[in-house]
Amino acid sequence: MVKFKDVTKKFGNVVALEKVSFEVEKGEFVFITGPSGAGKTTILKLILGEILPDGGGVSVNGVSVGDLSASEIPFYRQGIGTVFQDFKVLPERTVRENVEVALAVIGLSQDEWDGRVKHVLKLVGLEKQIDLFPRQLSGGELQRTSLARALVVNPKILLADEPTGNLDWETSDSIMQIFEKIHKEGKTVIMATHNEEIIKKYKKRVIHLVGGRMNNGKHSS
Amino acid sequence: MANIHLKTALDYIKRSPFQALAATFVLSLTFFVATLVSILVYSSSQLLSYFETRPQVIAFLKDNATESQIAELSGRLSSDTRIKEVKYVSKEEALAIYKKATSDNPLLGELVSPTIFPASLEFSVNDLTFAQGIIDEVKNETVVDSVGFTAALGGEESLQDVVGRLRTITTYVRFGGGIFTGILALASFMILLIIISMRIAMRREEVEILNLIGATRKFIRSPIILETLIYSTVGVMIGWTIAFIMVLYSAPGLLSYFGDVPVLPRDTLSLLIIFGVVLGVEFVFGIILSLSGSLLAISRVRRAR
Repeated sequence: MVKFKDVTKKFGNVVALEKVSFEVEKGEFVFITGPSGAGKTTILKLILGEILPDGGGVSVNGVSVGDLSASEIPFYRQGIGTVFQDFKVLPERTVRENVEVALAVIGLSQDEWDGRVKHVLKLVGLEKQIDLFPRQLSGGELQRTSLARALVVNPKILLADEPTGNLDWETSDSIMQIFEKIHKEGKTVIMATHNEEIIKKYKKRVIHLVGGRMNNGKHSS
Repeated sequence: MANIHLKTALDYIKRSPFQALAATFVLSLTFFVATLVSILVYSSSQLLSYFETRPQVIAFLKDNATESQIAELSGRLSSDTRIKEVKYVSKEEALAIYKKATSDNPLLGELVSPTIFPASLEFSVNDLTFAQGIIDEVKNETVVDSVGFTAALGGEESLQDVVGRLRTITTYVRFGGGIFTGILALASFMILLIIISMRIAMRREEVEILNLIGATRKFIRSPIILETLIYSTVGVMIGWTIAFIMVLYSAPGLLSYFGDVPVLPRDTLSLLIIFGVVLGVEFVFGIILSLSGSLLAISRVRRAR
């Protein structure tokens, strides 16, 4: 499903990734872990097509991300759900509108919005906050909103960049349980995290990065 | 889909009402002036056309001219594309005209007989520049005794002077109005550009999020373009409506002041058609203005990044 082959990425003289190779199968849940600056976010950005590799290749579902044209990238991203550490919710939009915008982006008929939005908000436990604005929500609720927006388009892959980075343990755990539930429904989840407790509790394959290189000794657990 | 873009555009207008007011005000002013200039151009053209094409030339016929000769000359003049409205005035009709003109002193009318008035062929020219050539040609006709202009404006030279002055004024109105409207349109364009650039800067985070979740360029641009379309549509409607009311209000006075000169149509339908055409053109111009302003602002912000 997701394949990195000898991927190298540099930012100026700084090597963010060096000859990184791995594969993630369909329906798999993978943690990408490592200290800050190890290249976790770079991997997610490469999958999302935000940046292109300087060497090697990234392919998703057999499509080489580097070969996509600028006009193809948005449609490619519509098949990927993304959750961010800083939530990235639209501050002037309610929870409902934040989720609806993802449906508008994929061009789904408005008749289908209500059912899909309610379903996904129930899944993340935000039915009661549906008409609240982001400033009225807690960190955990903001992350759930971000997750709901990612899930509502029924993506093939779910990318999560430190989704629990700004949350306390209890909230992080509840968010992880939602990810676990989504994974059990058959979604492929690739999560960048440096939260060791989460990695220990949710026993998944781990891709460990150190200084932009894969640490093979901790490749899987 | 359009609803979400329209809602976004309206939300941004509500969030920065003074920017929206500035844009609407300057666009209203532009289209108000544009409407008035359009009507002024129409009126001055009508005024010029009226003086250029009203009956001007009178060919006085010799007493011995036969009916067939007169008919033959009349036919030739009628078929000349430079000439319009050829009219034969008999001696009797000439007397009647004279009597009517001297009706305040009936004694003058009684003292003359039809025989002292020559019959004539009266006609007007489609363009005053043709007048001298036609006069010279008609003077050479065997049945024509003499040729003159109608005296309403004081003779040949003064008519040409008046028309010349009207032409100059019309040119000034067209160019001056065009330049003034152009400057206002440019000011509107600049204000739209600034406001939309500010909008995009304010929306930077939102645009980044939309990019990450797969929004196309069209999706991201649509609310921005819709917002400028709202400004231009409202601007056209306000500017046009105020100008329309002003012209409607002053039309009776203007028509009465200019008398026979058709500076404005006398029937409401024709006036509405003229204003309808102006409105249509302004809508198209407004759309072009807003589209070019918003697209230029978007491309500038993209380059700046």
